Amino acid sequence: MRTDPRHAGPAPALSVRGTGLDEMTIASLTAGGCALLVFVSEECPTSAMALRRLGPLCPAWAEAGLTAVAVFEDPLEVAVRVSRRLGWAGQVAAEDPPVETSRAYQLVSVPTAVLIDQEGRIAGRVTGWDQPALAALIGAAAALLRTRLDVPAATEPLHKPGCSSKAAIDPELVAAMSGAVGADEAEEMFERGWTDGLPVVPPTAERVEAMLGGADGGVSLGLVPPAMGEATLARVAACAVLAGCRPAYFPVVVAAARAALDPAFNLHGQAVTTQPAGQLVVVNGPVREAIGLNSGMGALGPGFRANLTIGRALRLLVTLTGGAMPGTLDRSTLGQMGKVGFCIAEDEEVSPWEPFHVERGFAAGQSVVTVIGSDAPQSISDHRSRTPEDLAYVLAWAAASTWSTNWWPLAEPSVFVICPEHAEMFRGAGWTKQRLREFMFEAVHKPAGQLRRGETTPFVHAADPAAQVPKWASPDAIVLLVAGGEAGRYSAVLGPCTGMGSQIVSREVESRWPLTT
Amino acid sequence: MATDYVSPFDDRVRAVEPLAPRPASVAGRRVVLLDIRKNRGAEFLDRMETLLQAAGAVTARAAKEIFSKPAALGLIDEIAGRADLVVEALAD
Repeated sequence: MRTDPRHAGPAPALSVRGTGLDEMTIASLTAGGCALLVFVSEECPTSAMALRRLGPLCPAWAEAGLTAVAVFEDPLEVAVRVSRRLGWAGQVAAEDPPVETSRAYQLVSVPTAVLIDQEGRIAGRVTGWDQPALAALIGAAAALLRTRLDVPAATEPLHKPGCSSKAAIDPELVAAMSGAVGADEAEEMFERGWTDGLPVVPPTAERVEAMLGGADGGVSLGLVPPAMGEATLARVAACAVLAGCRPAYFPVVVAAARAALDPAFNLHGQAVTTQPAGQLVVVNGPVREAIGLNSGMGALGPGFRANLTIGRALRLLVTLTGGAMPGTLDRSTLGQMGKVGFCIAEDEEVSPWEPFHVERGFAAGQSVVTVIGSDAPQSISDHRSRTPEDLAYVLAWAAASTWSTNWWPLAEPSVFVICPEHAEMFRGAGWTKQRLREFMFEAVHKPAGQLRRGETTPFVHAADPAAQVPKWASPDAIVLLVAGGEAGRYSAVLGPCTGMGSQIVSREVESRWPLTT
Repeated sequence: MATDYVSPFDDRVRAVEPLAPRPASVAGRRVVLLDIRKNRGAEFLDRMETLLQAAGAVTARAAKEIFSKPAALGLIDEIAGRADLVVEALAD
């Protein structure tokens, strides 16, 4: 073990941010025994190798009284992401420029491992990757703890030089290299992982404060699955800023978040499933016009800031605060673009029927957000039907293959977005929403025997081959909305998120602002 | 000076959860096989149970309410009280 006598003595105080609630200090790290500080940097391949090789040993070390901490010379978000990717199972900490802790420990390069004994004194250090020296360092820890500790395997390479520590560089140069001086904020957001893959608006304290509009950022809306991050209003506002929302949209974002966090929605299942399901946000009521939500031409597409950013804000809450980033906890096989964000508004003024939120028990004058776990939209062209029966038949059968061709019946809701020209045909014929729903339900039946190919349901397997099986378990599984441009006969159906027990959930948009609870 | 940002992350829950120590042997250990109720998961657990019993484990079964939701805390407590080890099976 190469113990440099210049570095013996009391371990310098830490100026780092950890991932826990409490401040990370030498005293807290050595309260139960010894500590091993492993200074690393994201950009250093030798650091990556050290994390990968030492990481799996950390849990057993911790049980035996040796607390291992990877101290990154990078932002905390980077530290957490890199640690997870490399399988580091110890604690994680990060230090900001000008890396005062690295300077206090007189680091020259990373990785550097520093052993601290039970009295808070430096008991040894190893610079770079040096397997024999690290084995000796861990052996010294074992002797201090009077126990046995596993050491890193003696696999090649046994020795590998590290990279320059930022402590060994002039502080001004470190600041310039770190990019944390606002030189390129957009790139910094990517480095922090605060993105869905698209550029974001940096959530400065000023922007978040403006988004909150006087609301208390500490108010909690609950825990966001799957990682159960707490949705404080400050974090929801940060997501809204990142998404590009104007402050006027924030009450709608908050209502969407409240709805999505209702256990009945089962966001947990939706967030981690291999299904493509996203969280469709439907807005009804006066707030649509107040904030410029589009329910007309191109209602399901691009072009309108309110639609695009409100849906995106909810998705960023799920992926960032909730931890469901695709490829990590979000296991969606293919995903779909609605998972970037999908917020639509109903054109209540064009609709021949009561608005969706009124159907769900709200007053017409209330502004309401409804969340629905749903698949991507599938367009339904019909320019030829001349009777409401024919049109309803075409619309209904377009949904026959949603979810899966022979998976009948579906218990979960399919969402039909009826375009104005199609809606006009039903208005002209005097069809109520319920009549259309029941007609569509009755229209789509097949004999069980024709559905027994490939994936099908236990219901179909158990049924008599001649028994008529409906596509939906009941007419209530057919959701009807009206939106779209005044010309063109294209409606759409959005298949369901199935098997989750996910319910449709609505929340009124809070008109008493700022929120205090 | 770095710009002051409001993080969307809840860093308290982003720490890596260390894996529990793995036993060298399952002989004599109480192993609960948790069925998450996904299609055909029980078949997989049946096979696992046979292998575990052959290796000397004492097995028992438990099941979640539905695969797409976290196990109820009561179920987790109940399993923790009667198991040394748990096998949870994904399926389809």
